[in-house]
Amino acid sequence: MSVTATRGTSGAAAALSIVALTEIGSAAFLRQFLLAEDWRVVVGLLGFFAMVLVGLQRMPTVEARIESSFSAQSRFATLLGIAIVLLFPFLLEKSTYALHLLIIAQLYAVLALALNFQLGSANIPNFATGASYGIGAYASALLALNWDVSFWLALPAAAVVATIFGFVLGVPSMRTRDSYLALVTIAFGVVVHQLLNNLEFTGGPNGLVGIPAPELFGHSFASPLVIFGHSLPSQANFYYLSAALVGVSILFAARLHHSRIGLAWNALRADELAARCQGINATWYKVLAFVVDAFLAGFAGTIYAFYVGFISPDNFTFLVSVTIMTMVIAGGMDNTLGVIVGAFLLTMLPEKLRAFSDYRILFFGVTVIAFLMIRPQGIFPQRLRRYGG
Amino acid sequence: MTEQLVQQLLNWITLGSIYALVAVGFSLLFGVLNIIHFSHGDVSLLAPFLALAAVQTVSASLGGSPTVAAIVLAVLLAVIVTGLLGVVLYYLVIKRFQNAPAMMALVATVALGIVLRELIRHLYPQGSNPHAVPRLVPGSIEVLGVTIPAFNLVAILVSVLSVGLLFYMLERTRLGLHIKAVSQDRDAARLISISPARVFQITFFIASAIGAIGGLFFAGYAGIVRFDFSVDIGLIGFSAAVVGGLGSMPGAIIGSLLIAGLDTLVQATVPNGASYRQVFVFLLVICVLVFRPAGLLGRTIVEKV
Repeated sequence: MSVTATRGTSGAAAALSIVALTEIGSAAFLRQFLLAEDWRVVVGLLGFFAMVLVGLQRMPTVEARIESSFSAQSRFATLLGIAIVLLFPFLLEKSTYALHLLIIAQLYAVLALALNFQLGSANIPNFATGASYGIGAYASALLALNWDVSFWLALPAAAVVATIFGFVLGVPSMRTRDSYLALVTIAFGVVVHQLLNNLEFTGGPNGLVGIPAPELFGHSFASPLVIFGHSLPSQANFYYLSAALVGVSILFAARLHHSRIGLAWNALRADELAARCQGINATWYKVLAFVVDAFLAGFAGTIYAFYVGFISPDNFTFLVSVTIMTMVIAGGMDNTLGVIVGAFLLTMLPEKLRAFSDYRILFFGVTVIAFLMIRPQGIFPQRLRRYGG
Repeated sequence: MTEQLVQQLLNWITLGSIYALVAVGFSLLFGVLNIIHFSHGDVSLLAPFLALAAVQTVSASLGGSPTVAAIVLAVLLAVIVTGLLGVVLYYLVIKRFQNAPAMMALVATVALGIVLRELIRHLYPQGSNPHAVPRLVPGSIEVLGVTIPAFNLVAILVSVLSVGLLFYMLERTRLGLHIKAVSQDRDAARLISISPARVFQITFFIASAIGAIGGLFFAGYAGIVRFDFSVDIGLIGFSAAVVGGLGSMPGAIIGSLLIAGLDTLVQATVPNGASYRQVFVFLLVICVLVFRPAGLLGRTIVEKV
């Protein structure tokens, strides 16, 4: 065997083990974090996470090594990732609370990915993602309650309704920019929230109750999931459903990022005037960003509505939009992995700090400010575009 | 009929001047620092809580109801302390986002607003509950058969005076000249030995103190105050400033009067209007921005070439 061949196989083996170690390590970390009940353990785990981040920042060679391993073994990394996601509920000791947190975190990950098309890719501030989420949830719930539409039909229908509203918001938004644009989206969010709160058919402040659980091939999502004689709590149904949605969103995001649309968005972010001079139709691409955001948010809203079975206007306030925005900024703009980590972290953080129950929101605000100060580029900063190879 | 009309007109102008006190702060801070200080509403709402606490402490130690002098003193104290708090917040948080992308500053100040709101909720005794605010000025005057509450007159008068004073300061004094110089070009201002840091400090004090007056009147007008009123007052003040054109002082006043006018009109004419008022107000905001994307009196953004 020649020297180069040996080096090649050992390099591949090293890459494989690095990928496996990183993914399994992250999954183990997430499991510990989800199951930790003592707040001291939670704080300790958070400290460990911060130390890893600082370590990676100090040693860029290690970070580069991990990254190159992932890109060299991308197929293996994806397969292992899918396997971990599928097996994860079995590792949670049937904790319904941990599963619930995961579902909510995954839905928020979808919302954050949706917003990332605007905020991250094209630098368009949008404080209305929470409203699109609400429109999706209400549209599907109303369809199910008033016309007995099944979940599987309500899902695309609600996404279409949310998309139409996204378009309605996007068109006037194109006239404005920066802070003015931010206000237009805030205003849209407030108007939607107040309408949901006051209209008759949305149930007013009491919201909508009794949204039926979805069914698939005769299996109701409200009953426990049995796989190979292994019974999982009913939440596992929704866990897999939302995991699938996250998967689709990641695929969607990756495809868009590598397409001309993603490139056009990035060009708009860099310099709108220069982008226009290159013949990029800025208005069209900006409206498209709004539409894509609303479309994905509509999906997430539908799953949320059918999962909890009860929605009220308070689930879709301005604060929700701010939270989603914070996830994108804190996680890392225009970085899919970063946005997902940001969503998971910010969903679970307040929940895991129940020990300070009353001070949760205060703690949330302080964490956000601290994050923006310490690591203004986000947990996982935006990557340079790669061309060719 | 006339009486009702006069009443509504009075409500409009009162509400408009209260909104203007908050909107002017947004515009001033944006003009000088180029930052949207989204927690400005929350800073402003600290004032009524401070004043309430001061009045209660005084009346508890003296016994009996507080005297007029005590109330005036408490109000002045609240305004000054709020102004100083604004400066402290600038140094603690906002200063660090001055050169960051605009979105960072926006999200950071929104988070700062959450922190302030929660602090009121936890530090103030029974902070989650609404607190009754005594009318700062009781009594009423009768003019041509129309009863006019003295509170409204005082609110309008004080607002006009404060905003007038601000205009005078900006236009006629050395300090105003410095503020203008810094808002136009920070580096050039530094070259002629104007300290931008000092100007930022003073601007923050002025904006927060004027906002505090607005917060006090807002609470007095409503008769109660709650920790989350700041969302309402902050959003409306910001909207007024944006509708008028961020950075333009007259714009902030026109925007406030416009929004207050629609607000009063909806509450008076639309059935069940009180619960829908924000819908109308924010639809107006969207409409104005669609037709005048930089606000009514805003400078149109010059594209670089």
